[in-house]
Amino acid sequence: MNKALNRRDFIKIMNATTTGVAIVASGITLTTFASVSETPVTNKKRWGLLIDTNKLTETDIDGMVNACQQEQGWGTEIRSTSSQKPGWIKKLKIKDKATNKVSNLALMCQHCEEPPCVDVCPTNASMKREDGIVLVDKHLCIGCRYCMMACPYDARSFVHETLNNQKEHMPRGKGTVEACTMCVHKVDKGETPACVESVNSEAVIFGNLYDESSQINQTLKIVQSSQIRADLNLNTGVRYSGI
Amino acid sequence: MNRFLVVFLSLLVSSVFAYIDEYANLGEQASSIKASGKVFHESPSIIRKMHPEFLRHKRDKTLRQGIRTNEYSLKGCVSCHANKNKINNQYYSVDKQGQFCSDCHKKVGVSFDCFSCHRTVLREDLL
Ligand code: SF4
Ligand code: SF4
Repeated sequence: MNKALNRRDFIKIMNATTTGVAIVASGITLTTFASVSETPVTNKKRWGLLIDTNKLTETDIDGMVNACQQEQGWGTEIRSTSSQKPGWIKKLKIKDKATNKVSNLALMCQHCEEPPCVDVCPTNASMKREDGIVLVDKHLCIGCRYCMMACPYDARSFVHETLNNQKEHMPRGKGTVEACTMCVHKVDKGETPACVESVNSEAVIFGNLYDESSQINQTLKIVQSSQIRADLNLNTGVRYSGI
Repeated sequence: MNRFLVVFLSLLVSSVFAYIDEYANLGEQASSIKASGKVFHESPSIIRKMHPEFLRHKRDKTLRQGIRTNEYSLKGCVSCHANKNKINNQYYSVDKQGQFCSDCHKKVGVSFDCFSCHRTVLREDLL
Protein backbone atom coordinates (compact mmCIF):
# COMPACT_ATOMS: atom_id res chain seq x y z
CA MET A 1 0.00 0.00 0.00
CA ASN A 2 3.12 2.15 0.16
CA LYS A 3 3.23 2.70 -3.53
CA ALA A 4 1.35 5.82 -4.26
CA LEU A 5 -0.51 5.75 -7.52
CA ASN A 6 0.73 8.29 -9.96
CA ARG A 7 -1.55 10.24 -12.20
CA ARG A 8 -1.04 7.86 -15.13
CA ASP A 9 -2.03 4.76 -13.08
CA PHE A 10 -5.03 6.58 -11.84
CA ILE A 11 -6.18 7.40 -15.36
CA LYS A 12 -5.70 3.73 -16.28
CA ILE A 13 -7.95 2.65 -13.44
CA MET A 14 -10.48 5.26 -14.29
CA ASN A 15 -10.48 4.11 -17.90
CA ALA A 16 -11.09 0.55 -16.83
CA THR A 17 -14.04 1.67 -14.75
CA THR A 18 -15.48 3.73 -17.58
CA THR A 19 -15.20 0.79 -19.96
CA GLY A 20 -17.12 -1.29 -17.46
CA VAL A 21 -19.94 1.20 -17.47
CA ALA A 22 -19.87 1.45 -21.26
CA ILE A 23 -20.29 -2.31 -21.55
CA VAL A 24 -23.26 -2.22 -19.24
CA ALA A 25 -24.68 0.66 -21.26
CA SER A 26 -24.19 -1.03 -24.60
CA GLY A 27 -26.13 -4.02 -23.30
CA ILE A 28 -29.32 -1.97 -23.45
CA THR A 29 -31.78 -3.16 -25.98
CA LEU A 30 -34.89 -1.08 -25.85
CA THR A 31 -38.11 -2.91 -26.48
CA THR A 32 -39.20 -2.59 -30.07
CA PHE A 33 -42.67 -3.36 -31.34
CA ALA A 34 -43.84 -3.99 -34.85
CA SER A 35 -44.55 -0.77 -36.70
CA VAL A 36 -48.00 0.38 -35.79
CA SER A 37 -50.58 2.88 -36.88
CA GLU A 38 -50.84 6.08 -34.89
CA THR A 39 -54.22 7.00 -36.29
CA PRO A 40 -57.49 5.68 -34.86
CA VAL A 41 -59.38 3.00 -36.78
CA THR A 42 -62.27 4.38 -38.81
CA ASN A 43 -65.61 3.16 -40.14
CA LYS A 44 -64.17 3.16 -43.66
CA LYS A 45 -63.45 -0.49 -43.01
CA ARG A 46 -65.54 -3.31 -41.65
CA TRP A 47 -63.78 -6.52 -40.81
CA GLY A 48 -65.61 -9.76 -41.45
CA LEU A 49 -65.33 -13.49 -41.92
CA LEU A 50 -66.94 -15.80 -44.45
CA ILE A 51 -67.12 -19.43 -43.43
CA ASP A 52 -67.92 -22.01 -46.11
CA THR A 53 -69.49 -24.93 -44.26
CA ASN A 54 -69.25 -27.17 -47.32
CA LYS A 55 -65.48 -26.87 -47.47
CA LEU A 56 -64.90 -26.83 -43.71
CA THR A 57 -64.24 -30.30 -42.30
CA GLU A 58 -64.62 -31.24 -38.65
CA THR A 59 -60.85 -31.47 -38.41
CA ASP A 60 -60.61 -27.93 -39.74
CA ILE A 61 -62.94 -26.72 -37.01
CA ASP A 62 -60.97 -28.52 -34.31
CA GLY A 63 -57.88 -26.87 -35.74
CA MET A 64 -59.55 -23.47 -35.55
CA VAL A 65 -60.53 -23.97 -31.92
CA ASN A 66 -57.00 -25.09 -31.16
CA ALA A 67 -55.41 -22.16 -32.96
CA CYS A 68 -57.65 -19.75 -31.08
CA GLN A 69 -56.70 -21.30 -27.73
CA GLN A 70 -53.01 -21.13 -28.57
CA GLU A 71 -53.20 -17.56 -29.78
CA GLN A 72 -55.37 -16.15 -27.03
CA GLY A 73 -54.44 -18.42 -24.14
CA TRP A 74 -57.86 -19.70 -23.06
CA GLY A 75 -58.83 -23.29 -22.40
CA THR A 76 -56.33 -24.25 -19.70
CA GLU A 77 -58.62 -23.29 -16.82
CA ILE A 78 -58.36 -26.03 -14.23
CA ARG A 79 -60.80 -25.11 -11.50
CA SER A 80 -63.81 -24.24 -13.65
CA THR A 81 -66.55 -26.79 -14.27
CA SER A 82 -67.23 -27.69 -17.88
CA SER A 83 -70.12 -25.25 -18.05
CA GLN A 84 -67.93 -22.51 -16.60
CA LYS A 85 -65.00 -23.02 -18.95
CA PRO A 86 -64.50 -20.32 -21.58
CA GLY A 87 -65.28 -21.07 -25.22
CA TRP A 88 -64.41 -18.31 -27.62
CA ILE A 89 -65.08 -20.45 -30.66
CA LYS A 90 -67.19 -23.60 -30.73
CA LYS A 91 -67.90 -26.50 -32.99
CA LEU A 92 -71.59 -26.69 -33.70
CA LYS A 93 -73.53 -29.39 -35.54
CA ILE A 94 -76.77 -28.34 -37.17
CA LYS A 95 -79.23 -30.67 -38.84
CA ASP A 96 -81.86 -29.71 -41.35
CA LYS A 97 -84.97 -31.46 -40.04
CA ALA A 98 -86.43 -31.92 -43.51
CA THR A 99 -83.42 -33.29 -45.33
CA ASN A 100 -81.31 -34.58 -42.43
CA LYS A 101 -78.33 -32.76 -43.87
CA VAL A 102 -75.78 -32.19 -41.12
CA SER A 103 -73.49 -29.16 -41.28
CA ASN A 104 -70.60 -28.31 -39.04
CA LEU A 105 -70.17 -24.73 -38.02
CA ALA A 106 -67.45 -22.83 -36.29
CA LEU A 107 -69.29 -20.33 -34.14
CA MET A 108 -67.59 -17.37 -32.54
CA CYS A 109 -68.66 -13.83 -31.71
CA GLN A 110 -70.47 -12.64 -34.83
CA HIS A 111 -69.24 -9.05 -34.44
CA CYS A 112 -72.73 -7.66 -34.92
CA GLU A 113 -73.20 -4.21 -36.37
CA GLU A 114 -76.05 -3.69 -33.88
CA PRO A 115 -74.66 -5.69 -30.96
CA PRO A 116 -77.18 -6.46 -28.19
CA CYS A 117 -74.23 -7.06 -25.82
CA VAL A 118 -73.21 -3.41 -26.21
CA ASP A 119 -76.80 -2.20 -25.77
CA VAL A 120 -77.24 -3.82 -22.39
CA CYS A 121 -73.80 -3.21 -20.89
CA PRO A 122 -74.23 -0.83 -17.95
CA THR A 123 -70.61 0.35 -17.86
CA ASN A 124 -69.69 0.72 -21.54
CA ALA A 125 -67.26 -2.15 -21.21
CA SER A 126 -68.88 -3.97 -24.13
CA MET A 127 -67.99 -1.86 -27.09
CA LYS A 128 -67.73 -1.85 -30.85
CA ARG A 129 -64.74 -0.35 -32.56
CA GLU A 130 -65.29 1.87 -35.57
CA ASP A 131 -64.13 -0.93 -37.84
CA GLY A 132 -66.81 -3.29 -36.56
CA ILE A 133 -64.82 -5.40 -34.10
CA VAL A 134 -66.76 -5.96 -30.87
CA LEU A 135 -64.66 -6.14 -27.72
CA VAL A 136 -64.90 -6.22 -23.95
CA ASP A 137 -62.98 -3.52 -22.12
CA LYS A 138 -61.97 -5.47 -19.06
CA HIS A 139 -60.88 -2.31 -17.31
CA LEU A 140 -64.56 -1.37 -17.12
CA CYS A 141 -66.19 -4.81 -16.95
CA ILE A 142 -67.87 -5.40 -13.58
CA GLY A 143 -68.76 -9.00 -14.35
CA CYS A 144 -72.53 -8.53 -14.32
CA ARG A 145 -72.89 -10.83 -17.34
CA TYR A 146 -75.86 -8.99 -18.88
CA CYS A 147 -74.04 -9.15 -22.21
CA MET A 148 -73.82 -12.92 -21.97
CA MET A 149 -77.58 -13.09 -21.52
CA ALA A 150 -78.20 -10.63 -24.33
CA CYS A 151 -75.98 -12.34 -26.92
CA PRO A 152 -78.10 -14.58 -29.15
CA TYR A 153 -75.07 -16.66 -30.12
CA ASP A 154 -73.82 -17.60 -26.67
CA ALA A 155 -70.53 -16.16 -27.84
CA ARG A 156 -69.26 -14.82 -24.55
CA SER A 157 -67.76 -16.52 -21.52
CA PHE A 158 -66.96 -15.49 -18.00
CA VAL A 159 -63.66 -16.15 -16.28
CA HIS A 160 -64.31 -17.97 -13.01
CA GLU A 161 -60.81 -18.45 -11.68
CA THR A 162 -57.54 -16.66 -11.02
CA LEU A 163 -55.28 -16.89 -14.03
CA ASN A 164 -51.61 -16.32 -14.70
CA ASN A 165 -49.19 -16.43 -17.59
CA GLN A 166 -51.71 -14.82 -19.90
CA LYS A 167 -50.63 -13.89 -23.40
CA GLU A 168 -49.09 -10.44 -23.24
CA HIS A 169 -51.43 -9.23 -26.01
CA MET A 170 -54.52 -10.72 -24.40
CA PRO A 171 -55.02 -9.80 -20.75
CA ARG A 172 -57.63 -12.07 -19.16
CA GLY A 173 -58.78 -12.12 -15.58
CA LYS A 174 -61.20 -13.53 -13.07
CA GLY A 175 -64.52 -11.74 -12.87
CA THR A 176 -64.58 -10.40 -16.41
CA VAL A 177 -66.37 -11.40 -19.60
CA GLU A 178 -64.48 -12.30 -22.76
CA ALA A 179 -65.13 -13.37 -26.34
CA CYS A 180 -63.52 -13.66 -29.76
CA THR A 181 -61.69 -10.42 -30.52
CA MET A 182 -61.31 -11.23 -34.21
CA CYS A 183 -57.65 -11.35 -33.21
CA VAL A 184 -57.63 -7.57 -33.15
CA HIS A 185 -53.98 -7.48 -32.01
CA LYS A 186 -53.02 -9.22 -35.27
CA VAL A 187 -55.47 -7.38 -37.49
CA ASP A 188 -54.07 -4.04 -36.32
CA LYS A 189 -50.66 -5.19 -37.53
CA GLY A 190 -52.08 -6.16 -40.92
CA GLU A 191 -52.19 -9.87 -40.11
CA THR A 192 -54.94 -12.47 -40.31
CA PRO A 193 -56.83 -14.01 -37.34
CA ALA A 194 -55.28 -17.19 -35.99
CA CYS A 195 -58.28 -19.43 -36.75
CA VAL A 196 -58.29 -18.31 -40.38
CA GLU A 197 -54.57 -19.00 -40.69
CA SER A 198 -55.04 -22.51 -39.33
CA VAL A 199 -57.32 -23.56 -42.21
CA ASN A 200 -55.42 -24.41 -45.36
CA SER A 201 -58.31 -24.40 -47.80
CA GLU A 202 -60.32 -21.30 -48.66
CA ALA A 203 -63.04 -22.43 -46.29
CA VAL A 204 -62.60 -19.33 -44.13
CA ILE A 205 -61.99 -15.92 -45.64
CA PHE A 206 -61.13 -12.87 -43.60
CA GLY A 207 -61.15 -9.32 -44.88
CA ASN A 208 -62.64 -5.90 -45.23
CA LEU A 209 -66.31 -6.22 -46.17
CA TYR A 210 -66.41 -2.67 -47.58
CA ASP A 211 -63.41 -3.07 -49.87
CA GLU A 212 -64.68 -3.92 -53.37
CA SER A 213 -61.39 -5.55 -54.27
CA SER A 214 -61.14 -7.79 -51.21
CA GLN A 215 -61.61 -11.51 -51.60
CA ILE A 216 -64.36 -11.60 -49.01
CA ASN A 217 -66.34 -8.84 -50.69
CA GLN A 218 -66.03 -10.46 -54.12
CA THR A 219 -66.93 -13.91 -52.85
CA LEU A 220 -69.99 -12.60 -51.00
CA LYS A 221 -71.17 -11.14 -54.30
CA ILE A 222 -71.18 -14.48 -56.09
CA VAL A 223 -72.07 -17.07 -53.47
CA GLN A 224 -75.22 -17.59 -51.47
CA SER A 225 -74.46 -16.71 -47.88
CA SER A 226 -76.46 -16.28 -44.73
CA GLN A 227 -76.29 -14.79 -41.29
CA ILE A 228 -77.15 -16.99 -38.38
CA ARG A 229 -80.43 -15.71 -36.95
CA ALA A 230 -80.69 -13.16 -39.74
CA ASP A 231 -84.20 -12.46 -38.44
CA LEU A 232 -82.66 -10.51 -35.54
CA ASN A 233 -81.35 -7.85 -37.94
CA LEU A 234 -77.99 -7.56 -36.21
CA ASN A 235 -76.04 -7.44 -39.48
CA THR A 236 -73.30 -9.77 -38.36
CA GLY A 237 -69.71 -9.46 -39.52
CA VAL A 238 -69.38 -13.26 -39.69
CA ARG A 239 -71.23 -14.86 -42.59
CA TYR A 240 -71.75 -18.50 -43.55
CA SER A 241 -72.19 -20.16 -46.91
CA GLY A 242 -73.33 -23.70 -47.57
CA ILE A 243 -76.08 -23.81 -44.97
CA MET B 1 -1.49 14.80 -2.15
CA ASN B 2 -2.02 12.34 -4.98
CA ARG B 3 -2.88 9.69 -2.47
CA PHE B 4 -5.67 11.78 -1.04
CA LEU B 5 -6.97 12.50 -4.49
CA VAL B 6 -7.18 8.78 -5.22
CA VAL B 7 -8.91 8.03 -1.97
CA PHE B 8 -11.33 10.84 -2.53
CA LEU B 9 -12.11 9.91 -6.12
CA SER B 10 -12.43 6.22 -5.40
CA LEU B 11 -14.84 7.02 -2.61
CA LEU B 12 -16.79 9.08 -5.09
CA VAL B 13 -16.85 6.26 -7.64
CA SER B 14 -17.81 3.63 -5.10
CA SER B 15 -20.58 5.84 -3.80
CA VAL B 16 -21.96 6.01 -7.34
CA PHE B 17 -22.05 2.24 -7.44
CA ALA B 18 -23.56 2.09 -3.98
CA TYR B 19 -26.25 4.40 -5.27
CA ILE B 20 -26.95 2.11 -8.21
CA ASP B 21 -27.01 -0.86 -5.87
CA GLU B 22 -29.61 0.82 -3.76
CA TYR B 23 -31.82 1.03 -6.83
CA ALA B 24 -31.07 -2.47 -8.14
CA ASN B 25 -34.78 -2.88 -7.93
CA LEU B 26 -35.33 -0.42 -10.73
CA GLY B 27 -35.17 -3.33 -13.12
CA GLU B 28 -32.36 -4.55 -15.32
CA GLN B 29 -32.81 -2.39 -18.38
CA ALA B 30 -33.88 0.62 -16.38
CA SER B 31 -30.77 0.34 -14.20
CA SER B 32 -28.41 0.15 -17.14
CA ILE B 33 -30.08 3.13 -18.77
CA LYS B 34 -29.70 5.04 -15.53
CA ALA B 35 -26.06 3.96 -15.21
CA SER B 36 -25.35 5.07 -18.75
CA GLY B 37 -26.50 8.56 -17.82
CA LYS B 38 -29.27 8.53 -20.39
CA VAL B 39 -32.60 10.01 -19.47
CA PHE B 40 -35.53 7.86 -20.44
CA HIS B 41 -38.57 9.49 -18.85
CA GLU B 42 -38.96 13.21 -19.37
CA SER B 43 -38.88 13.66 -15.61
CA PRO B 44 -39.02 11.01 -12.91
CA SER B 45 -41.28 13.20 -10.78
CA ILE B 46 -43.82 13.52 -13.59
CA ILE B 47 -43.75 9.82 -14.32
CA ARG B 48 -44.08 9.04 -10.63
CA LYS B 49 -47.08 11.25 -10.26
CA MET B 50 -48.76 10.79 -13.61
CA HIS B 51 -48.17 7.16 -14.59
CA PRO B 52 -51.74 6.04 -13.80
CA GLU B 53 -53.14 8.75 -16.08
CA PHE B 54 -50.65 7.95 -18.83
CA LEU B 55 -51.51 4.28 -18.66
CA ARG B 56 -55.26 4.93 -18.56
CA HIS B 57 -55.06 7.21 -21.59
CA LYS B 58 -52.91 4.72 -23.44
CA ARG B 59 -55.12 1.75 -22.63
CA ASP B 60 -58.23 3.52 -23.95
CA LYS B 61 -56.47 4.52 -27.14
CA THR B 62 -55.14 1.01 -27.67
CA LEU B 63 -58.34 -0.86 -26.94
CA ARG B 64 -60.88 1.51 -28.43
CA GLN B 65 -58.99 3.11 -31.29
CA GLY B 66 -56.41 0.50 -32.17
CA ILE B 67 -53.45 2.84 -31.58
CA ARG B 68 -50.82 0.37 -30.48
CA THR B 69 -47.83 2.64 -30.05
CA ASN B 70 -44.96 1.94 -27.76
CA GLU B 71 -45.23 5.03 -25.61
CA TYR B 72 -46.59 4.45 -22.10
CA SER B 73 -47.44 0.85 -22.89
CA LEU B 74 -47.59 -1.48 -19.92
CA LYS B 75 -45.51 -3.97 -21.90
CA GLY B 76 -42.83 -1.31 -22.22
CA CYS B 77 -42.88 -0.55 -18.49
CA VAL B 78 -42.62 -4.22 -17.59
CA SER B 79 -39.85 -5.05 -20.04
CA CYS B 80 -37.68 -2.25 -18.67
CA HIS B 81 -38.41 -2.68 -14.98
CA ALA B 82 -38.30 -6.48 -14.78
CA ASN B 83 -35.59 -8.42 -12.95
CA LYS B 84 -34.19 -11.84 -13.56
CA ASN B 85 -33.52 -14.44 -10.90
CA LYS B 86 -29.75 -14.89 -11.29
CA ILE B 87 -29.88 -18.52 -10.19
CA ASN B 88 -32.45 -20.03 -12.52
CA ASN B 89 -32.31 -17.28 -15.17
CA GLN B 90 -36.09 -16.78 -15.01
CA TYR B 91 -37.82 -13.43 -14.77
CA TYR B 92 -39.55 -12.60 -11.50
CA SER B 93 -43.25 -11.80 -11.58
CA VAL B 94 -43.47 -8.01 -11.59
CA ASP B 95 -46.17 -8.06 -8.94
CA LYS B 96 -44.08 -10.07 -6.48
CA GLN B 97 -42.61 -8.60 -3.34
CA GLY B 98 -39.31 -6.86 -3.92
CA GLN B 99 -40.03 -5.97 -7.52
CA PHE B 100 -40.29 -2.47 -8.89
CA CYS B 101 -44.05 -1.95 -9.25
CA SER B 102 -45.12 -3.77 -6.11
CA ASP B 103 -42.38 -2.29 -3.94
CA CYS B 104 -43.35 1.28 -4.66
CA HIS B 105 -47.06 0.60 -4.45
CA LYS B 106 -46.54 -1.09 -1.14
CA LYS B 107 -44.46 1.78 0.14
CA VAL B 108 -47.13 4.36 -0.68
CA GLY B 109 -49.97 2.06 0.33
CA VAL B 110 -51.78 2.06 -3.01
CA SER B 111 -53.11 -1.20 -4.33
CA PHE B 112 -53.06 -1.97 -8.04
CA ASP B 113 -54.71 -4.71 -10.00
CA CYS B 114 -53.25 -4.40 -13.49
CA PHE B 115 -51.64 -7.75 -13.05
CA SER B 116 -54.71 -9.72 -12.17
CA CYS B 117 -55.33 -9.67 -15.93
CA HIS B 118 -52.02 -8.63 -17.48
CA ARG B 119 -49.20 -11.12 -17.73
CA THR B 120 -46.81 -10.80 -14.78
CA VAL B 121 -43.74 -12.55 -16.16
CA LEU B 122 -41.79 -10.87 -18.92
CA ARG B 123 -41.62 -12.92 -22.07
CA GLU B 124 -38.04 -13.33 -23.20
CA ASP B 125 -38.73 -12.89 -26.90
CA LEU B 126 -40.45 -9.57 -26.30
CA LEU B 127 -37.14 -7.90 -25.59
S1 SF4 C 1 -72.24 -12.12 -31.28
FE1 SF4 C 1 -72.88 -11.70 -29.20
S2 SF4 C 1 -71.02 -10.94 -28.21
FE2 SF4 C 1 -70.66 -10.83 -30.42
S3 SF4 C 1 -71.27 -8.75 -30.99
FE3 SF4 C 1 -73.07 -10.05 -31.32
S4 SF4 C 1 -74.21 -9.89 -29.39
FE4 SF4 C 1 -72.15 -9.14 -28.98
S1 SF4 D 1 -60.66 -14.50 -34.77
FE1 SF4 D 1 -59.08 -14.94 -33.22
S2 SF4 D 1 -60.21 -14.75 -31.29
FE2 SF4 D 1 -61.79 -14.96 -32.89
S3 SF4 D 1 -62.20 -17.16 -33.01
FE3 SF4 D 1 -60.60 -16.71 -34.51
S4 SF4 D 1 -58.67 -17.12 -33.43
FE4 SF4 D 1 -60.28 -16.92 -31.86
